[in-house]
Amino acid sequence: MSDTMYKRHDGSDIFMHWFNAVCWLLLLLTGIGLIQNPVIDPLGSGYPAVLRSLVGGGGNLLLLHEALGILWIIGFLVYLIINFKGARFFLAEVFAISPARDMLWMVKKMVLMTLGPKPLKMLGMDPVLPDQGYYNMGQKAFAQASVVGGVVIAVTGVVMFLSDRTFGAAATGMIGWAVTLHFITVGLVFAGLLVHIYMAAISPEERPGFKSMFTGVVPGEYAKHHHRLWFDKVQSDDQQVSE
Amino acid sequence: MAQQLAMIIDASKCIDCKGCMIACKVANNVPEDQWRNWIKGESGMSRPGKHNGTTKFQPGACMHCDKPTCVEACPTGATYKDEMTGEVVIDESLCIGCGNCIPACPYGARFRNATKRKADKCNYCPERRAQGLLPACVDTCPTKARVFGDINDPDSEAGRLFLKNKEQLTRVAARTETKPNMFYIGDPGPRDWGGEAVTPASMIAMKEAAPFIKGIVGLSGLGVLAMLGRQLIAGSDTDHKENDDV
Ligand code: HEM
Repeated sequence: MSDTMYKRHDGSDIFMHWFNAVCWLLLLLTGIGLIQNPVIDPLGSGYPAVLRSLVGGGGNLLLLHEALGILWIIGFLVYLIINFKGARFFLAEVFAISPARDMLWMVKKMVLMTLGPKPLKMLGMDPVLPDQGYYNMGQKAFAQASVVGGVVIAVTGVVMFLSDRTFGAAATGMIGWAVTLHFITVGLVFAGLLVHIYMAAISPEERPGFKSMFTGVVPGEYAKHHHRLWFDKVQSDDQQVSE
Repeated sequence: MAQQLAMIIDASKCIDCKGCMIACKVANNVPEDQWRNWIKGESGMSRPGKHNGTTKFQPGACMHCDKPTCVEACPTGATYKDEMTGEVVIDESLCIGCGNCIPACPYGARFRNATKRKADKCNYCPERRAQGLLPACVDTCPTKARVFGDINDPDSEAGRLFLKNKEQLTRVAARTETKPNMFYIGDPGPRDWGGEAVTPASMIAMKEAAPFIKGIVGLSGLGVLAMLGRQLIAGSDTDHKENDDV
C-alpha cells in the first residue's frame, strides 16, 4: 500500500475553516451572554451577568458580538473572492446526495459509532459502510446545515445590527423575527457542531482528516477507506494526466 | 428594605396645563410627536351645561411596575427592574430597538424613539436626580399634583403620602395585572383604560422553541457521549476496515 499523500484542502480553505471556527466559538460565547431572559437563557445560570461584568456592561458585550459578526462576514466575503472556485467545488460536493447510498451510510454509521457492529449483524445487515465521495453523508449533513444556517444567521444578524441604525418603527415586526430565527438557527447548528467536533477532533478514526485541516493532505490509505469514490476519481484523473 | 421609587398623584389637583408633558419633553429631548408622559381626561367634560360628577385630569407615565410585562418581553435584559431602586430601566447601549416591549406594556407607556431607534419611556429623569433635582414633570407641576419618591421610606414625602392614604390609594386597572407603582389618591378619573399586555408572536415563538432547542442540543450531546463511551470501552471500530483491503 502506497503512502502517497493526496491533496484535500487548499491553503485558503484551511485558513477559512479555522477562521470560521474561531469566529463561531467567540460569537457563541458572546452571543449566549446576550440572552438574559429566564425563559430563553440556554444555560439558565449567571453566565450572562458574569460575562457582562467582565467586559464592562451589556452594551460592550453587544458591541463585541457585533464586531465579531461583521469580521466573520467580511472574512467570508474575502474568501469567496479569493477562492470562488474552491467554494463552488465545496458547495457542489456538499449538496450532491445519492439518497439510497447516503441514507444507508448514515443509519449504519450512527449505529456503528454508538452501539457497534453487533446490532447491525443481528438484524442481518452487513456492517460494511457504502462507499462515500469527497465528503461522507455525515459531513455533508453538517456542512449543509452550516451553510444554510450560516446564511440565515448572517442575514438575521445584519438585520439586527441595522435595527437601531437605519430601521424605523415599522420594521420592528421583521426585527423581532430576525431575533427569533437567529436564536433557533444557532441552536440547531450548534447541536450539529457538537458531533462535528467529536468526529473531527476526538474520534481516532478521523485523525488523518483532522491533520489534513492543517496540512491540506491525507494519506492514500485513509482516502481509500473513508472517501472511496473520491479516491477512485482522483486516481483515474491522475492516470489520465500521466498517460 | 430596597427602595421603590414611585409617584403618588392627586388627580383632583391637576388642572390639565400640560406643563409636565412639556417639561419632560424638553428635559429628555423627546422627538416631535412622541411623549413620555400624559394627562388623560374624561371625555365630554368641557361641554357647557350640566355635567355629572367632578372633573378629573389624570397625569401618568411609565408606572415602573412590580410585575413588568415589558421586561418579560425583552430577550436580552436591556430593560429590567432595578432591584435597588425599583425602577424599570432601559439600558440604551444594549437595546437594539426590536420593539418587543412596546405592545407588552398595557398602559402604552413605551414607544420606539424616532431618533434613537430604541425603546423609550419615563425614567424618572436620572440626570436631574443625580444633580439633586426632582424629575422634570414633578418639578414643574404648578399645583403639585405629582409627588415623586421612595414609597418604602416613611420619611420621604412620597412615603408619607403612601402610608397616610393607604386606604384610598388607587391604581389604573389594566386587563393584564402588572402591579404598577403609580398611585392615585382618591378618584383617579378614568380608571380602567389599561389594555392587555401583548407579546409579539416572534417572542412567543422564541420562548416556545427554547425547550426544543435545548432538547436537540442535549440529544446531540448524548450522542457524542455515547460515541465517546464506545471509543473508550470498545476502542476504535475496525470492523469496516477489514473488508476494504481486498
Ligand atoms: C474546534 C472546532 C473544530 C474542529 C476541530 C474542526 C475540524 C474539522 C476538520 C478536521 C474538518 C475536515 C474534515 C475533512 O475534510 O476530512 C472539518 C471540516 C468542516 N468544518 Fe470543522 N472543525 C471545528 C469547528 C467548526 C465550526 C465551528 C464550523 C462552523 C460551521 C465548522 C465547519 C466545518 C465544515 C462545514 C466542514 C466541511 C464539511 C465537513 O467536514 O463536515 N467546523 N472541520
